[in-house]
Amino acid sequence: MNPQSRTKHIVCPVSEIPPGHRKIVTINGRSIGIFNIDGQYHAIRNACPHQRAPLCMGKVTGTSTSTKPGKYQWGKDGQIIRCPWHNWEFDLTTGKSVFNPNQVRIKHYDVTTEATSNQTKSSCHVETNYSEPELEKYDVGIEQMMVVIQI
Amino acid sequence: MPPSEQPINELPTLAQTSLSLIDTDVHTALNHMDELKPYLPAYYRNLTLDLPGRAGFLSPIGVQRQDAIPEEGGIPGSSVSMMQKQLLDAYQMDYAILNDSSMLGISVHADANYAAVLARAYNDYFAENWLEKDPRILGCVLIAHNNPTEAAKEIKRIGGHRKIVQVIMSSASRSPLGERQYWPIYDAACEMNLPVAVHPGAECSGVANPFTAGFPTSYFEWHNNLSQNYMCQLNSMICQGVFNQFPNLKLVCIEGGIGWLPHLMWRMDKNWKALRFTVPWLDRQPSQCILEHVRLTTQPIEEPENRQHLLQILEMVHAEKTVMFSSDYPHWDGDCPVHGLPRLPEAMKQAIMFGNAQALYNL
Repeated sequence: MNPQSRTKHIVCPVSEIPPGHRKIVTINGRSIGIFNIDGQYHAIRNACPHQRAPLCMGKVTGTSTSTKPGKYQWGKDGQIIRCPWHNWEFDLTTGKSVFNPNQVRIKHYDVTTEATSNQTKSSCHVETNYSEPELEKYDVGIEQMMVVIQI
Repeated sequence: MPPSEQPINELPTLAQTSLSLIDTDVHTALNHMDELKPYLPAYYRNLTLDLPGRAGFLSPIGVQRQDAIPEEGGIPGSSVSMMQKQLLDAYQMDYAILNDSSMLGISVHADANYAAVLARAYNDYFAENWLEKDPRILGCVLIAHNNPTEAAKEIKRIGGHRKIVQVIMSSASRSPLGERQYWPIYDAACEMNLPVAVHPGAECSGVANPFTAGFPTSYFEWHNNLSQNYMCQLNSMICQGVFNQFPNLKLVCIEGGIGWLPHLMWRMDKNWKALRFTVPWLDRQPSQCILEHVRLTTQPIEEPENRQHLLQILEMVHAEKTVMFSSDYPHWDGDCPVHGLPRLPEAMKQAIMFGNAQALYNL
């Protein structure tokens, strides 16, 4: 897709996806999973290229490498998702499969966080049975960080 | 010096000629085990020599072709001249790779020391009585895989002979052939630049496992199961990383059939996509590892209702690189070099009839 044609979609406040968590949303009819890996957000399409299983429902884990038979090195912990159906491994940070990274991959989306001004009225009012001057009211602007996905 | 201690003389380099037919599975046979006694240490010469027997399903039709009984008497496979006449001359073979399949049972003998001693004696017997008798005859290092240390020594002792082209051992075993206990065998084979072949016959004999579902009830049922054991052995060697540990190793699956291989490759590839992390040394699809490291011999070639289906299977296993002709002479289920295979595409035919063997064995 032409980068210029991408549009930003504000997904949710960052507080809704703390590290190690995920959120699955539907944007333009597409189911997309957004993952927080140690404070970095990554998004992938929620449809495994194998048999279209809901990939983003799978277990987030790590994977192993080896230098010789019988030897294991565990790595990429928290960065690998396993499809819930056939357990294909995908790297959440790239969308590439582990077993065939150059040919089997899942659509990966850029995710950013942006401060968004959200105008919210705030007031304090106390009912009394006697007349008293009304308290002064102020409009309060709360800025919060939002998760934003580019599609 | 006992015969087994004598070095085997190097033969001149085999002539580089234009080839047309290499038979990768031809059988010799001892008329009697006592023929090995001159090659055995003294203690063993005093034993009654025997091999592990099968539990109740010897072939009721015999194993040998009845038309292959030597003119001078004896059992089929016991005569060089009969083999020359009936096979090497009759089909104008360039080379035939000989082994004695009944001896493979040493690998499932409970006494691994006896097994190793027999292997050594047999190799010396074979070198003296067969290997030098005809320039077309090539041989194997017989080993007992239940004694990997001695097997490795034997490979190094005799494997450098110019006419010894591979290691051969039983496809039957007490435990799968990918296990580490066997790795000295593969290490020695690579050191001597020899492929390792497995050949059936001892399944369910001695201390070998039965087939996966249990013991068969007839020779017919037993014979039908042999390919199943090949699947298990190859699966074990791939999964345990034998070919990752020994990247130059080639495995020759003799007489195990071919039709099962596409299924095994596809099933392994499919499961590997999910379970790769449990065998992370498998750095590529198992099928790719198989096609690079494994060679299959043709006999007993599958004979489907539609022979085109066999051609399709040959394509699936990349037969132009992986399959080698074998007759299994003089056994009852052998394939004729002329009439055994269906009509093949010319390039595949040349690869199967001699090309793949020529490349594998550096002929």
